[in-house]
Amino acid sequence: MATVRRGTSGASHNAIHAQARRNKLMMFLFTLPMLVLFLWIVIFPSLQSIQLSFTNYDGISAKYDYVGLRNYQEIIGSGRFWNSTKNTLILGIGSAFIINVISLAVALLLDHIKHFAGFFRTIVYLPSLVSAFIVSTIWKYMLNSNFGAVNEILTKMGLDSLAHDWLGDSKHIIWVLLFLICFTLGGNTTLIYLSNLQSVPQELVEAAEVDGANGLQVFRHVTWPMLAGSVTVNFTLALIGGWVIFDQVMVLTGGGPGFVSETMAFFIYRLGFGEYRAGFGSAAAVILFIVVMITTLITNKYMRSREIQQ
Amino acid sequence: MTYGFARNVKRAIAAVSAVAALCGVAACGAGSKTASSGDANGGKTARFLYATGDETWNATVKAVVDAYNKQSTMGTVVAEPLTAGSDYATAMKTMDATNNWPTIVDMRDYTTYAKAGKLAPIPSEVTDLLQDDAYAPYSDGNVYLVPSSANNGEIGINIVYNKDYFNEHDLEVPTTWDEFIKLMDDIKANGDTPLATAAAENWPSDQIFKPIANSVFAKHSAEHGGYWMDVANGKASLDELKEPMEKVKMLIDNYVLSGWQSTQDAQTTTLLVTGKTVMATTSAGLGRLKDINKVKSDFNAGMFLIPDEEGNLNVVKNAVGDTSTGLALSAQSKENGTYDLGVDFLKYFYSVEGSNVVEQSGTISANIKDSDKVTRNESIPGSEDYFNLLKNPKLKWISNESPTEGTFSSFNSFFRQARVAYQDNQKDLDTTIAELKAEFAKDVPAQN
Repeated sequence: MATVRRGTSGASHNAIHAQARRNKLMMFLFTLPMLVLFLWIVIFPSLQSIQLSFTNYDGISAKYDYVGLRNYQEIIGSGRFWNSTKNTLILGIGSAFIINVISLAVALLLDHIKHFAGFFRTIVYLPSLVSAFIVSTIWKYMLNSNFGAVNEILTKMGLDSLAHDWLGDSKHIIWVLLFLICFTLGGNTTLIYLSNLQSVPQELVEAAEVDGANGLQVFRHVTWPMLAGSVTVNFTLALIGGWVIFDQVMVLTGGGPGFVSETMAFFIYRLGFGEYRAGFGSAAAVILFIVVMITTLITNKYMRSREIQQ
Repeated sequence: MTYGFARNVKRAIAAVSAVAALCGVAACGAGSKTASSGDANGGKTARFLYATGDETWNATVKAVVDAYNKQSTMGTVVAEPLTAGSDYATAMKTMDATNNWPTIVDMRDYTTYAKAGKLAPIPSEVTDLLQDDAYAPYSDGNVYLVPSSANNGEIGINIVYNKDYFNEHDLEVPTTWDEFIKLMDDIKANGDTPLATAAAENWPSDQIFKPIANSVFAKHSAEHGGYWMDVANGKASLDELKEPMEKVKMLIDNYVLSGWQSTQDAQTTTLLVTGKTVMATTSAGLGRLKDINKVKSDFNAGMFLIPDEEGNLNVVKNAVGDTSTGLALSAQSKENGTYDLGVDFLKYFYSVEGSNVVEQSGTISANIKDSDKVTRNESIPGSEDYFNLLKNPKLKWISNESPTEGTFSSFNSFFRQARVAYQDNQKDLDTTIAELKAEFAKDVPAQN
């Protein structure tokens, strides 16, 4: 009897294993089409760009020559590349910080709104539903030096001295871009914070209040630690988004005046497409990939360690 | 359980097949664009990709395509504008990457594509219709590019101005560089802004630079191709550009409407007709006069060229168009059977009938052998200034070919951006020239 039971148990165990294997196979088959497309459209071309980064490929001709590390040497010695790196750092890190601070503040406000909460959430999220290209185009019209609404309003208010060539001033253009990028990208971040805020256990908040904690202390010692996970996600996403900023630069400034507002992503595009230097552009893309990987790993490591400490 | 698994596998296979079928359909869709197809004229369909941006050229393409289709027995030509918002180089590369070449292409940077074997030779039955100096063969002996409009060189790069303002203030069109500066001083003294120019898209920065730099280009031998060829072969130096670059910066600092860095080319028309400036730079020639007339029909526009110190009106005129632009036939058209239709369209484009359609739409037709039979369109207000420029005894045609070996277009793109950076006080002149030399050495080898 005992033997039969063991046999039954063993057969049942085997059946469970077989089922698990079948489930895995099923899952694999369902992901296969997307996997094939992803490998074909994203991974293989990305790997090929590593190969092309060692060539003088112009992006059109079938023939090209291997030039060793020349593209990389040229990039490292290029002032234009370092300028685009500086801009990318300002826009990437700057937008990540600003977006997160503003989004968290807005999420806290939305979390406390009792009336028309849905309406206000929609208003906050609305800019994220419009493509960066379209938002940038609208801003381009608004900030036009001669006919733009912003300068018109300033002039009509008697503030002529503040009217400005917002998109043509090389000293301030990068900060104008930073402002516009933050304006466009905040919706998703706010939404993540808001959903996380609403999952903070109310009993913890109430217990802290009973212990005499004020609003700031409740936020510092209860809410903030509970948000650690979403801070990691939001900051990492904003940082990666910042590294690859392209649409706004393309539409608003075209990298100018001169080269002054080029970002790394725009620099790669300009070289690869506009200047027929796909090999050189590929080398810059490889460097951008390395920069994004390293900074993302460091940021993530720091954020994760912070989560554990909390 | 076994039946359930089998059913699941079948569903999964069905899902994979569905995706594969979708991909196949998509691929067929893409492929069908490149293939020829039947049409109302009983023949094939050929696509004509053209660059947008200039309203007059858009109207010309539409007019000539419509006129061709009305009389064609071979097939239909479909005008296909470049996607709005995309720049030319990106659109071309996307088209090439997706193997989706049209039959007829409004071409830029043609040497890059000719070298890569992407263009088909244009047969003598087309080139025979053109004047001999209206086209030139590529280094392999074939002709890949024919002009899309009259080869009046870069005479379209000039100044449009408010004639009523000039009359009201007793101002004259300048005949020397000094008179040009005095004219702008006089306008400034009236409390007005003399000149609008644009640099938001980089390329319009040529409009103020080229007319002034032409006095340097004029010093170089036409028989060796001109200034850029001489630089490539070590017979000229980029240092020679210091003087014109300084002159341009002086104009920018003293006479140009602020905000030029973010001003787009088309906006200069608006700045002129709304009275924000008295003059504006342009590169569209007659087309700009037509645009002005369209925006404000009672605006009294005139046109002149910036003279040099001696009063010469130096204008670049190379063998094919101004900067390797014109019409080409794609190599792919030979594969999909639309090449002959493309050739037929070009034959119409260079016929007297086709040239008259081009003229009526506001573009000056290409230099065909029968050009004396073409009816010129002088109805555009201000056009008399344009045609008078062509007869001006001070007009001096100069040659300045773009080097074909290497990627001169890469350098030219860098050159425009570097000039804007210098004009905008981001860099000094010596640093700019040093960077230009390094870029030129990298992009353009010695030429044969």
